[in-house]
Amino acid sequence: MIRAWHRRILAVATAGALLSSVAPLALATRFGAQAQSGRAITDEVGRRVTMPPEVRRIVTLAPNLTETIYALGLEDRLAGDTDYCDTPPAAKSKPHVGEPQNPSLEAIVALHPDLVLATTSINRLETADALKRLGIAVYTSNPQTVRGTLDSIARMADLVGAGGQGAALVAQLRKRLDALHARLAERPMVHVLFVVWEDPLITIGQNTFIADALRYAGAESVVLSDRNWPVLSIEEVIRLQPDYIVFTSNHTEGPATELADLRARPAWRDLDAVEMGHVVDVSEEAVRPSPGLVDAIEQLAHKVHPEVFAARDAEPLVACDARAGLKPAPTDARGERTSCAR
Amino acid sequence: MRPLTPRRVFAICLALCAVLFVAVVISLRMGAYPVSVRDIVMTLVNATLRRWSEIPPDFQSIVLNIRLPRILLGILVGASLSTAGAGFQALLRNPLADPYVLGVSSGAALGAILSLLAAPHAPGLIQAAAFAGAIATIAAVYFLGRRGGQLDSGTLLLAGIITASFLSALIMFLMTTLPGRDVRGMAFWLMGDLTSPSSVDLKWLYFLLVIAVGSIYTTSSDLNLILTGEQEARHLGVNVHRVKLVVYVAASVLTGLAVSVSGAMGYVGLLVPHVMRMMFGTDYRVLIPASALGGAILVVVADTLARTVVAPIELPVGAITALAGAPVFIYLMRRRVR
Repeated sequence: MIRAWHRRILAVATAGALLSSVAPLALATRFGAQAQSGRAITDEVGRRVTMPPEVRRIVTLAPNLTETIYALGLEDRLAGDTDYCDTPPAAKSKPHVGEPQNPSLEAIVALHPDLVLATTSINRLETADALKRLGIAVYTSNPQTVRGTLDSIARMADLVGAGGQGAALVAQLRKRLDALHARLAERPMVHVLFVVWEDPLITIGQNTFIADALRYAGAESVVLSDRNWPVLSIEEVIRLQPDYIVFTSNHTEGPATELADLRARPAWRDLDAVEMGHVVDVSEEAVRPSPGLVDAIEQLAHKVHPEVFAARDAEPLVACDARAGLKPAPTDARGERTSCAR
Repeated sequence: MRPLTPRRVFAICLALCAVLFVAVVISLRMGAYPVSVRDIVMTLVNATLRRWSEIPPDFQSIVLNIRLPRILLGILVGASLSTAGAGFQALLRNPLADPYVLGVSSGAALGAILSLLAAPHAPGLIQAAAFAGAIATIAAVYFLGRRGGQLDSGTLLLAGIITASFLSALIMFLMTTLPGRDVRGMAFWLMGDLTSPSSVDLKWLYFLLVIAVGSIYTTSSDLNLILTGEQEARHLGVNVHRVKLVVYVAASVLTGLAVSVSGAMGYVGLLVPHVMRMMFGTDYRVLIPASALGGAILVVVADTLARTVVAPIELPVGAITALAGAPVFIYLMRRRVR
């Protein structure tokens, strides 16, 4: 057994060794949040943001924000985006800062942004906190509805000194939504199952912006849930018998699920919608609160209310904004021209 | 095995400190933004001398404000978890014991979830709640594990395992039934992650670390005796009850500390004490400081890998510790058996 003095010396020596290895480093940490001058604003989650006098370099942390910047024609100011930013294709060649859920802080700092744009729909608030501590202005958007998405676009445009472009873009998107509403107002709502994820089957709750987007397209989710991303059993789907099943598809990978696949699956093939071939794909834009959301709404409206639009096949069904670099996309499988492309 | 002398303990600690220092410098060097070792040394020297104007703003941001706090947090978490692991292993006289087996991580994660539900945007609350969850769980396990007023190793371990699975089930239940997006960050709590350091001042965390490690250290020669048998230790004049309480409380605080800033980082508390035993022997007088330093080295290295292998994407460090830890552990174990 060790004697008391022996023990004490050991304790002191070890504590000393432990401390001496970290003390100089601990001394060196100092958060150098530079005091920035500029106007103070409040973002959409209620946080104070001190804006720099001029925004020349922007980093976006989510695909919908990247799309917004491109739609505003501000791509020259986009210093970096995330690995997920694939629309428009040019966004893929911008420097990436990692994934939206967990971007690399130092990659963001290295890009010297004047402003970082984040969104509650995919980013973590901790990321915004960490950037704020580093003295970087972060604006977090929090759109919960289609209208909220448009307001948020206008707000962000204003923030980076492109209020004019923002107002024009939003006015044009509103006009398209109003036109759609005028044609669908008399139609009954179509009941759809919006599939966010197949296995496990995840759909949308009624408070999401996607549920709101469905309503603009004359459709309504069969699932009424207060939770945003409820998990659903196939039995429940059979009980609810939706008129249409809506999947989202990636631009590059094509439709995620083919009708033939579903017809081969037990339980799924018993659904009326599957039997009647009422399975539709909409662009991934449907799940992104960006200007492209309106494209997806129009696309969905055409697919679930084909009778309304059947008469006007000849002309492009969507008014695409040429100034933002958008032109009508090639016609889809049904021979309809239902979305815009770059 | 050579006899343990204070000189040898000191030499081992010094060697481990040197390895830790090298690991820290390498970690500071690595990352998406290129910085040379010379720049790092200049930045550190200037920062220590408080000559802030000498440091280019980029280095100040990236080296001092992003990489260094994260490394310091890694050291803190690694040292806490492995010291706690070593403490629990002696206390339960079971080589499988570690903070996670006892349900602490699940308790912390549950605390974090509840705080996210109550007040999603309150700064620092989530850490406080995770800490409270860890401490509450370990207190519950302690009382469940008592038998006839005595702390029984087998019962305690079973109580821990059952509490852990009960709490995990509760977490799964909450995550699938409660509304929305606030729970999204939970994956990070369940994996172990250093990317979102807390707003809590590191100074206080280190202060707690030194106190808790120090108090476990003062019991190290008693722990050696307890490991040979509680009766024998009692006959040799060790206050077994007091020693157990001290180690239990200190190890719980260490675990709560680690989990509240980094989530549930697996394997560190189990792996490091065993590796240190294989390298330096089973004497707790060297095992405690060696585990603290070894844990710090492991987490710093693992986090460096997590930041760099698929940069700029960052992996949760818990995945790296498990991925790298298991094969190393098996190798050392097989080598010793032969």
